[in-house]
Amino acid sequence: MTLQDKLTTAAATGNTADVEALLREGAQVNGVNRFGRTALQVMMMGSTPVAQLLLERRADPNVTDRSTGTTPLHDAARTGFLDTARLLVQFRADPQATDNNNCRPIDLARENGHVEVVDFLQSQ
Amino acid sequence: MAHVTGVQYEPVAEIGGGAYGTVYKARDLESGQFVALKSVRVQTDQNGLPVSTVREVALLKRLEQFDHPNVVRLMDVCATQRSDQETKVTLVFEHVDQDLKTYLEKAPAPGLSPGRIQDLMRQLLCGVSFLHSNRVLHRDLKPENILVTSQGQVKLADFGLARIYSCHMALTPVVVTLWYRPPEVLLQSSYATPVDIWSTGCIFAEMFRRKPLFCGESEVDQLGKLFEVIGLPPEDEWPTDVTLSRKHFPPLLPRPITDFVPEINEQGAQLLLKMLTFDPLKRISALNALEHPYFQDEETLT
Repeated sequence: MTLQDKLTTAAATGNTADVEALLREGAQVNGVNRFGRTALQVMMMGSTPVAQLLLERRADPNVTDRSTGTTPLHDAARTGFLDTARLLVQFRADPQATDNNNCRPIDLARENGHVEVVDFLQSQ
Repeated sequence: MAHVTGVQYEPVAEIGGGAYGTVYKARDLESGQFVALKSVRVQTDQNGLPVSTVREVALLKRLEQFDHPNVVRLMDVCATQRSDQETKVTLVFEHVDQDLKTYLEKAPAPGLSPGRIQDLMRQLLCGVSFLHSNRVLHRDLKPENILVTSQGQVKLADFGLARIYSCHMALTPVVVTLWYRPPEVLLQSSYATPVDIWSTGCIFAEMFRRKPLFCGESEVDQLGKLFEVIGLPPEDEWPTDVTLSRKHFPPLLPRPITDFVPEINEQGAQLLLKMLTFDPLKRISALNALEHPYFQDEETLT
């Protein structure tokens, strides 16, 4: 596994200490793994500590999935993790971004019944 | 399980691995949702897949029909023939983007409320009870495979795969945590559904402590750590089919469980002790645990 692969694995499993250590070892916060995804794109969406760490280290919050056009904020909204959605917006994720189906994050939150996330995104 | 893995599921990151195969976080391109792809390489002959594998997959599919709220959905099963001798079986499970480990880490001081813990425990035991009533053992319950949705719904993952993997796992030793293992497994004695209750007890304690209860570094060390809490069991409870002697351990007396889990209430402490019982035959069952007085008074969820 390359350093980038290890970083995305640590992010996807919510392992904050490993993410920190790998960044220290020289993993690029916006580097892609062998599937062409960055750590922020594949992180465990419920892990606000991982999200916070990656964003503080300047992870690009507006990176889009190469197959679906979704941003991390789309995924946070679809899965209903309000704290992560807040963090992403705080670090300038675009709440109006549209994916390949022309959906915005708020549309996915609404579709999945995440009322608090809908309310938050509406206020943006 | 005849159809071939198409392009419906696109891996985005590796989230687990071992001797048996690899686990990927993937995106279902149809729904846009994340899924977990668990692949296992199976040896095949002219008769196709081994009967044991087919039986295990059939069991998982049967469980799926109950649509139980506290286990992850099995969404699809794909088989891809790799060669004459090898077939890759891929199980596609629902992916929940938060585990109990993260959920506990995230909880601001002083930790989860008593009501939240009671709710998580009820759901966890419902999931375990469901598996046990279908004669499925989890065998490896730990905070990393207990998932919690953003709505606070508990879903067990990684169950029922042990037997599919077992023949492959014997080939390469995989590092697995000992912290949630019951004494009968540590002693390599025979085991059954009570294994999962011990693990659930360890996790119950961890919900209050926000750190694991027993952190052993080897099987013997792990046993020593748990005897420091529950005491050395009497001679007549020591399994007869094991090589490790009871004399190997100092004659420790049980200590009050509240020394280790000070925040737990009296009913909770009683239930915890019934789960952390050395003798698997005397350990409480999931169904009886759900009937325990600890669950009778509804604590407020905050």
